Amino acid sequence: MSKNPYKILVVDDEPDLQPLMLQRMRRSIRAGKYVFVFAGNGVEALERLREQEDIDMVVSDINMPQMDGLTLLDQIAQLDPNIRSVIISAYGDMKNIRTAMNRGAFDFITKPVDFDDLRITIDRTLEHMARWREALASRDKLVSLQNELDIARKMQRAILPTEFPNKPGHRIFGDMEPARNVGGDFFDVIPLGRGRVGLAIADVSDKGVPAALFMMSSRTLLKGAAIGSTAPADALREVNNMLCEKNDSMMFVTLLYGIYDPESGEFTYANAGHNSPVVLHSDKSCSMLPLTGGVAIGVMPDLEYEQKTITLAPGDTLTLYTDGVTEAMNEDKEELGEERLFDMLKGASSGEPEVITRAIFDGIKAFVGDAPQSDDITCLAIHRPEN
Amino acid sequence: MQVTTENKNGSLVIVTEGRVDGSNAPEFQEALKEAIQEGGQKVILDFEHLSYISSAGLRVILMFAKQLRRENISFAACSLIASVKDIFAISGFDKIIPIHESQKEAMAALG
Repeated sequence: MSKNPYKILVVDDEPDLQPLMLQRMRRSIRAGKYVFVFAGNGVEALERLREQEDIDMVVSDINMPQMDGLTLLDQIAQLDPNIRSVIISAYGDMKNIRTAMNRGAFDFITKPVDFDDLRITIDRTLEHMARWREALASRDKLVSLQNELDIARKMQRAILPTEFPNKPGHRIFGDMEPARNVGGDFFDVIPLGRGRVGLAIADVSDKGVPAALFMMSSRTLLKGAAIGSTAPADALREVNNMLCEKNDSMMFVTLLYGIYDPESGEFTYANAGHNSPVVLHSDKSCSMLPLTGGVAIGVMPDLEYEQKTITLAPGDTLTLYTDGVTEAMNEDKEELGEERLFDMLKGASSGEPEVITRAIFDGIKAFVGDAPQSDDITCLAIHRPEN
Repeated sequence: MQVTTENKNGSLVIVTEGRVDGSNAPEFQEALKEAIQEGGQKVILDFEHLSYISSAGLRVILMFAKQLRRENISFAACSLIASVKDIFAISGFDKIIPIHESQKEAMAALG
């Protein structure tokens, strides 16, 4: 038993019981195990319970003036359902014992009181109560944790773009299907000068509230760096150095950031440890963007990032995604993989970003079946229309 | 996931078997911490039987690498299967953690 001493309210109209109880329980009292409080009937007992909120359990007689033990049981249940009661009844009074048990008494002892038996009964009741309180505490903890996760989940959703700047030179669409346990994916679409647009996709290691906070700062820092600098590699270097400061939790984020120029169809990107995006060409072939070999952000300061440029031909669609897509698992523990992703892209009815994104989400759903989703699934696609 | 250790030619070889992902990353972290209690100036992470590692697992390795560096313990990873090697390459972790083809090569490199 964790808590000492336990406070026990003894309710009996026989005045002899009080000195007897104190005498017979003196060792436990001296050892600091129990403290006793006394009341002569149910009404007085309720007064004591209201005065002293730290009473842990009640030991009560049944037959008493003013308010009997059975009525008292009902009242206690309403006052504090976590208080446990033990009833003292006449030997063989099964009817009242049954009623008391039905009204929530934890146990009973019979008169004349055998104090050894009473001590065992009290200890057993208190032991039960300690377990019950532990269970309540862990339930509360779980509820507050779930609330935190809800906040993190809402945060994650709230920062994602929901409207996309569709211009004659490009069409963009992105979406995320969050996992139940709050991951750390995000994507961003950042309008830059001269019609250019910055595209970012990222995946924070780990899950939960700390990951969500890390995601928020990554996203804010990237936005600032993207607007301030002309080259994706410079933006990544800046974000990396800032996130490496005070990163004691050793969290990191894989991040691909690129700038699309609708005039030329050029996409200039730098990659910090993120998986390679894929281009669906108008002839339904697929190609992966060459890796640039960058280290994930937050791992180590003062890293340089390499930059590469590809050109989207009219009709091409570039899809950025997180590993929640290719590592989605079906019930046979098979991963979706790149080949199946290519097949989904080729099978899409058009290269429109929204069509492509839907095709991927639907394809994943069909592939995984009833297997649980363990990671966020995120896609961001940009299409260069044919003239 | 299972982590076992053995002492070989003055190196502590830590063998990780199975999958490391978000669900068992804390156990993995605990297992590595326990493994290093055995001491030694050289540590080899043998990943021959590691079938998959997620970013949560990479983070554990990163924390482990940082601890080893702080304690001046030299370390290397070895024997990664192709798909795990890809994960290290894509995330750029192959630039942070020295990776070798075999235990023997790793031992030679650690001297």
